[in-house]
Amino acid sequence: MALARPLINGDNLVVVVSGSGDIKLESRPIPEPGAGEVLLKMHSVGICGTDVHFWQHGRIGDYVVKKPLVLGHEASGTVHKLGTGVQNLKVGDRVTIEPGVPREFCEFSKIGRYNLSPTLFFSSIPPDDGALGRYYVHNANFCFKLPECVSYEEGALTEPLSVAIHACRRGGLRMGQKVLIFGAGPIGLMHLLVAKSMGANPIAIIDMVQERLDMAKCMGASITCKMEKNTCPREMASKVKAALCDMPDVTLECTGAEQCLQTAIHATKPGGVLVLIGLGNACATAPMITATIRELDIRGVFRYTNTWPTAINLMASKMVDVKPMITHRFPLDQAIEAFEFVKKGTGLKVIVQCEEPEGAQKEQQQMKTLEQCQQQCQQLLQQCQQQCQQLQKEQKDHCGRVGGGGRS
Amino acid sequence: MAQHENLSVVLYKKHDLRLEKRPVPEPGPKEVLLKIDSVGICGSDVHYWQNGGIGDFVLKQPMVLGHEASGTVLKVGSGVQHLQAGDRVAIEPGIPREIDEYCRTGRYNLSPTIFFSATPPDDGNLCRYNTHDASYCYKLPESVSFEEGALIEPLSVAIHACRRGGVTIGSKVFILGAGPIGLVNLLVSKAMGASQIVICDLSPNRLEKAKQMGASVTVTVERSVGAKELGQKVKQALGGAMPDISIECTGAEFCVQAGVFATKSGGVLVLVGMGKSSTNIPVLDLIIREIDIRAVFRYCNTWPVAVDMLASKKIDVKPLVTHRFPLEEALEAFETTKKGVGIKVMLKCDPNNQDP
Repeated sequence: MALARPLINGDNLVVVVSGSGDIKLESRPIPEPGAGEVLLKMHSVGICGTDVHFWQHGRIGDYVVKKPLVLGHEASGTVHKLGTGVQNLKVGDRVTIEPGVPREFCEFSKIGRYNLSPTLFFSSIPPDDGALGRYYVHNANFCFKLPECVSYEEGALTEPLSVAIHACRRGGLRMGQKVLIFGAGPIGLMHLLVAKSMGANPIAIIDMVQERLDMAKCMGASITCKMEKNTCPREMASKVKAALCDMPDVTLECTGAEQCLQTAIHATKPGGVLVLIGLGNACATAPMITATIRELDIRGVFRYTNTWPTAINLMASKMVDVKPMITHRFPLDQAIEAFEFVKKGTGLKVIVQCEEPEGAQKEQQQMKTLEQCQQQCQQLLQQCQQQCQQLQKEQKDHCGRVGGGGRS
Repeated sequence: MAQHENLSVVLYKKHDLRLEKRPVPEPGPKEVLLKIDSVGICGSDVHYWQNGGIGDFVLKQPMVLGHEASGTVLKVGSGVQHLQAGDRVAIEPGIPREIDEYCRTGRYNLSPTIFFSATPPDDGNLCRYNTHDASYCYKLPESVSFEEGALIEPLSVAIHACRRGGVTIGSKVFILGAGPIGLVNLLVSKAMGASQIVICDLSPNRLEKAKQMGASVTVTVERSVGAKELGQKVKQALGGAMPDISIECTGAEFCVQAGVFATKSGGVLVLVGMGKSSTNIPVLDLIIREIDIRAVFRYCNTWPVAVDMLASKKIDVKPLVTHRFPLEEALEAFETTKKGVGIKVMLKCDPNNQDP
């Protein structure tokens, strides 16, 4: 897990933010994989709300952009080069990356909760660069092979799918349980897909935007409920109870909004579990006495652990279909437009296509050939000039020996 | 026995507590008639007295207080097999009225229609005689006193809380509050194998008692200290480690916040204390560090374990009792409890037995 990598010449176009609200495409050298690492030629990278937040605000909590940062952590690509000691992959393998890589085998790693390791490397969280570029180096153990039936784009969505798998596991979700999800954005919808695959039924989902609720319905939500900004939490909870004919056993809170947290506590069945996934303000006011009387478990979830193989399995077996989540695609050289689009919030998941387009590759090849020709010509010219000079010298010497220069 | 020999402590309305003689009840099928011996006064009894209600539980008719009780079986109703007259018992106050989904999953404490002594509208045990479902009366061996039997109720709060919190061998535990509930959690944590127990309180006197009862380290909370700072102090007290489990016994918002900040990442914060209807919690810290909040409400399946632990002397609750009053002096007993001077005030309901 080397941090500083020797650089070789090449064209690695990457998307960089500096923390002061600007975002740009930058050309960096292609990195060299260290021991235990692989160099990936990136294919598909999803844009996450976190990426947009770092662009717009330069920080999330204690994570502050202090130097230019490459974004992107929902990523897939092809193995291009192996670092020393890499056994599990070979050049040409199609992989998806798990962005969180422990730097040390700390007490959290030892109990399998490496997501809580304080010194964890995490792609695109300052100061660690992300994968939104043509090339990217990553720890080989955290690159997972994609079966042929799973596309690169699905591979990129392994990351948000993992958030949902980890949350549903932490929620102790079991078949036949009633589930309530707050938020029908990309994260809420992923939770819907996973909860369904785990046998939860019925599943109710809440959002403020009708179009999102419609999408949720298409993706399998049993019940959708629209909430307004001023909806009373207790009233909303009653509505949910009426719609589900019962209170939910597990509630998945994906918005980070205080109003949703309050509603969730009122809505969840006594003895039930409320999982907090969405990040909002540092503090929130909540009816904890209600939570106490109902013996609720409230569980925070942070990223994920041990989810990549499961996620790939779910997609390969078609138990979960994440493809409808992808609504827009942009090539890497239009990444800025992609970010502007995501900021508007109209689509669901936007994918950036990172492979160099074929035309550009040909052009580059031609440029290289021309350069090589020019270099060769230069070398030939130098050789000719040297030979000329040599010949002239030899002739002078010869004339000197034969003709004399005034001596008889 | 004369018909109206049953001296009882009855709450008519807020601030209106009366001693009155009521009829001696007759045990129904599956019930027993008990001669009540010892009843502890709980913070909730005082709260009903001072406020007339707790949350959605509102006093609408006169109610007998007291739910931390023990006594002797005087008479058994039909169908009672496991008890007979003369048996000394501890009383579990919560009795489900129907076998609903909560009962079926072993969490009968959450049953919405549960009977609960001294929670409106159900009468409690602060009287000379009371009937109770025989299945919720547990025989006390000779080695366990009536007072210990009465203390099984607060001890049960702690057994349930420590179980829910996952306290086990080697756990580092942080207890917020060194009142009666904090102290029983201390006793149970120790019995469950906790290696280090830090306890905090505003009162140095209470912390002194906690130290005597086995706390590894005590931390005095100053009002000027912030919640994060208290978390740091706990970390220092544990030599740089953070507690796996924090047990919040005060209901105070500051303590709930400190509980979140103090707990190790991936750890558990148990909420025992009940406070205001709304609490400001540091959710971001909770989420980013994957802290589990586990709220507890009363208890389930704790009496048999508590009896065993007391009988085998693995837990000693006797030091908790600091004041005793005969039933006739109930009002004074309540005033004493309200002042917060001692730990547990015990009411002695049998005029022929005022022993601990």
